[in-house]
Amino acid sequence: MPDAYIYDAVRTPRGRGRKDGSLYTVRPVELLAAPLAAIPQRTGLDPALIEDVVVGCVTQTGEQGACVARFGLLAAGYPEHVPGVTHNRFCGSGLEAINHGAAMVAAGFQRWVVAGGVESMSRVPMGADGGAWWDTATQWSVGAVPQGISADLIATLHGFSRGDVDGFAVESQQRAARAQATGAFQRGLVTVRDPSGLPLLEQDEYLRPDTTVETLGKLKPAFELMGTRFGLDALVRRRYPQVERIQHVHTAGNSSGIVDGAAAVLLGSLEAGQAAGLHPRARIRSIGVVGSEPLIMLTGPVEASRKALAAAGMTPADIDLYEVNEAFAVVPLYLMQQLGVPHDKINVLGGAIALGHPLGATGAMLLGTVLDHLEDRGLATGLVTLCIGGGMGIATIIERV
Amino acid sequence: MSTQDPYVRFEICEQTRIGTLWLDGAGGVNKIDHAFGQALLDRVGELAEIEGLAGVVVASAHRDWCVGADLDYLYRERDHERLLGVVLALTRAYRALETLGVPVVAALTGSALGGGFELALACHHRVALDSGRVKLGLPEVSLGVIPGAGGTQRLPRLIGFQAALELISQGRVLPAPVAQAKGLVDALEPTAEAVMEAAKAWIVAHPGHKAAWDRRGFTWPAPAPDSQDARNLFMAGSAMLYKKTAGAYPAAEAAFTAAQEGARLDFDRALELEARLFVKLAASDGAKDMIRTFFFHKNAADKLEGLPHSEQPDFVKVAVLGAGMMGAGLAWICARAGYQVVLKDIAQPALDRGMAHIGKQAAKLARKQGPEQADAVLARIRPALELEALRGADLVIEAVFEDIGLKHRVIREVEPLMAPDGVFASNTSALPITDLAAGSGRPAQFVGLHFFSPVEVMPLLEVIEGRDTSSATVGRCLAFGQRIRKTPIVVGDGFGFYTTRVFTAYVLEGAQLVAEGHDPAIIEWAARVAGMAVPPLQVFDEITLVLGKHVVAGSKPYLGDRLALPGADLVARMVDELGRTGRAGGAGFYDYTDGRRVGLWPGLADLADGPPTETGVQYLAYRLLAVQAAEAARVLDEGILKRARDAELGAVLGLGFAPPSGGPLAWMDRQGLVALVGRLDYLAGSCGDRYAPAPILVDMAARGERFFPVG
Repeated sequence: MPDAYIYDAVRTPRGRGRKDGSLYTVRPVELLAAPLAAIPQRTGLDPALIEDVVVGCVTQTGEQGACVARFGLLAAGYPEHVPGVTHNRFCGSGLEAINHGAAMVAAGFQRWVVAGGVESMSRVPMGADGGAWWDTATQWSVGAVPQGISADLIATLHGFSRGDVDGFAVESQQRAARAQATGAFQRGLVTVRDPSGLPLLEQDEYLRPDTTVETLGKLKPAFELMGTRFGLDALVRRRYPQVERIQHVHTAGNSSGIVDGAAAVLLGSLEAGQAAGLHPRARIRSIGVVGSEPLIMLTGPVEASRKALAAAGMTPADIDLYEVNEAFAVVPLYLMQQLGVPHDKINVLGGAIALGHPLGATGAMLLGTVLDHLEDRGLATGLVTLCIGGGMGIATIIERV
Repeated sequence: MSTQDPYVRFEICEQTRIGTLWLDGAGGVNKIDHAFGQALLDRVGELAEIEGLAGVVVASAHRDWCVGADLDYLYRERDHERLLGVVLALTRAYRALETLGVPVVAALTGSALGGGFELALACHHRVALDSGRVKLGLPEVSLGVIPGAGGTQRLPRLIGFQAALELISQGRVLPAPVAQAKGLVDALEPTAEAVMEAAKAWIVAHPGHKAAWDRRGFTWPAPAPDSQDARNLFMAGSAMLYKKTAGAYPAAEAAFTAAQEGARLDFDRALELEARLFVKLAASDGAKDMIRTFFFHKNAADKLEGLPHSEQPDFVKVAVLGAGMMGAGLAWICARAGYQVVLKDIAQPALDRGMAHIGKQAAKLARKQGPEQADAVLARIRPALELEALRGADLVIEAVFEDIGLKHRVIREVEPLMAPDGVFASNTSALPITDLAAGSGRPAQFVGLHFFSPVEVMPLLEVIEGRDTSSATVGRCLAFGQRIRKTPIVVGDGFGFYTTRVFTAYVLEGAQLVAEGHDPAIIEWAARVAGMAVPPLQVFDEITLVLGKHVVAGSKPYLGDRLALPGADLVARMVDELGRTGRAGGAGFYDYTDGRRVGLWPGLADLADGPPTETGVQYLAYRLLAVQAAEAARVLDEGILKRARDAELGAVLGLGFAPPSGGPLAWMDRQGLVALVGRLDYLAGSCGDRYAPAPILVDMAARGERFFPVG
């Protein structure tokens, strides 16, 4: 099977996902259009050659509904013959878009695909799209709890203390601040501009570099009230009867931030690149996507990574850099514990705790981040993985060429 | 003009053109069955033909308005398709009434329950008699089904999801004044005539009225379906329910599903959805077993069917010996029922504590029914230290410490003071009545009356016949039990009679499972999953481990070493070596902070063997029920239990034995006795003789019998 190659990767800065965020005035379609437009500008590729635009987006409703990919690519000035598709694999949507695009290229069906993601969490709040997830009928047959309770359950079952998750969060903040100060993100960033071209946001704005274990220690566990007073903790006993009490360790300070953002990645075959005079930066080595137990929900990255590693014939030690989405601090901690990955290989530029997690865009953003940093450090292999609502995991392994 | 029909008839007032639809079922009772639905549909069809009809009052020709479904039919029906047809026909009849095009008012001069209250909900306006005797609500879930004729659809649209689901999922029934406060009825009137007049007046004032949900622009009581608030409410509501039920009550869960999903649908199709959910439940074993125990058996027991009867007059003066929680509680409920009560203790501080407990009950009653009521009850209770106060007592109930010597002394002191035909009752929870009666000069008038704590709340009365107890004595006590509103079972004598035998088997098995090395958190959860009202280690802490130890020791003369299991040793060690005596002592199987249970004591693991070869929720849930069922069968085999009905009511009402199972015998029936005997043999082999199937089970299995015939 031929390989799929990455020719470019770009993202918007992440704006605070609230009405005081710098990207709040930008429609989701325009937000997506920014990185889409940057791809042909940066690479010189004729957008008429792009055969599909695959976009991940979670909350597909309101102004972000009805296939935001199609209107985003038109807003980006792509010719009208270029089609678009919008995917929802919850938080794995952005990486799902990459994997989908890569699969089409590798299969030989398409030569150039732009894949990416978008989420304006300030304008289209999480959960605004409803869904069967929260039907009581689902509760009785499958079971469902909010993700924070799942995260706290992982911590309870696998022995991660409040100190562990807060310590991880502080490190994420410090790494992200250092990365921003040294320009590590610069290559992949595209400025979002207002209608007259004035810049709205040039850098990620969610960071709190002055965070310490002491300041984090003062925060209240975010899911304790819900879990104990409203009884939601009991819902996990269907699968975890041994858990008499959940230790609630996750707070707003050690969980991912709510932000706005979009990203795009140019995927193509080797031949298409040669024809267009473009050099690939990396190739997709393998992917892994799995379903996992839906109540604990967030353990999927471990199995998805194992699957991707096995498909590539690799071991965890063969990966130079990992990007594990910091939906909650316990997610990367659990992966480190289970796969034996040292902290200095994981999220070395910080993660969603410091930078934010624009749901459908994050997977595509992390792919660009790891690629840029592999190049900066002269390393070869990177693995991107995210936990996913409803109990799933997704992973992609890339290798520089 | 009027139409005659055995179920529903109507008449038209020539002046007002208001029709009155009279619910007039046979035998003075309005029950809902297929014929009722058909009659209603026919009458509504006839009403629709009447020129100038101004409106319809739905009224009852009987004391109750309509008490719900014909459970004789429902209990027998196992055919899904036929049942769906019956339910949908009823739903159509209600809907036809609701959409008649004229105002329709329910004149609730009596109770409207279940399908009866659903008929009232299909009316546009509800006027009720202002009386606590009028009970309104949807108790279906307590019988293992959901409302099937629109209750899960109309009530949420009327009073909102939260209020509606609280009532429906708990099967709550409310007196009319409370029902009005909660929005279930619109108006109260002081007399039946005033109810009828108010109903007619409303019709005159609301020509052309439609149900709110049939009007354009209907808005739901907040939160609106599928709003974020509604989603949060259903999330928290389902969590609260699951926390309480551990998934053991499918009907309560289905009520949530019906309300939430139905809210998204066209109203008529929502009714169909509800009917389909209803049918699945109603045809299930779960519903049949709950209907049998909580309706047929309980009603029969409450009416004292098949039980001894006495021609002697009712007691007047009742004396309670011992002013602890039980004694004081007993004094209170007897006084409330109208008896003259003496509460006697030997120590003033104990008596003061007892009277303080009574004071709290009185304050509660005063808040509900006014201070006069409470004062009248209090005036009937006389606290006393002196024996003389007992003179002339018709009934003495002793609730003193469980020591046979002490009890004998009390009996000898008190009996001479009592009325010559008076009855002496022991509230012992385990000591054989015949042994206690050995201290009595008139053993025919000596009986066991075993109450359950807290006695103000617990509905069961276990009446124990000693060897010499006369049938008349039992009969008098049953009449007394009826007056204090307890549901009776009548059992023979023996250590622990019936309920204590089963209860002891349950809590000791909890300790035994800990000793075997099963995870205590899973033991407790498994009990909940099995449907037990309270998990075994929690309840052990409540009754105290000291009592457990005491019962094991006290059982020796009667049961030999039957209870001498490693679990009993573990309890003794916890009491003697570790000072963990239970909740009252601040530490038991659980840890406590300021009397609040904070979690299972982590040290339990160190007291256990293990790991066990078999464990897990399903295994433990099965064992916790099986050990009780096996004991119940043994008590039945020994002849101490005389009625299958008593086995079920005693376990479910007295001990909180898995209510959704219907009781230990129903639980065994549901598995089939052949399979059950095989499982019990296996458990007897792997876990001990306490699981061995009693001969009666083996015999019944061999003959292919069941305790309760199907349908």
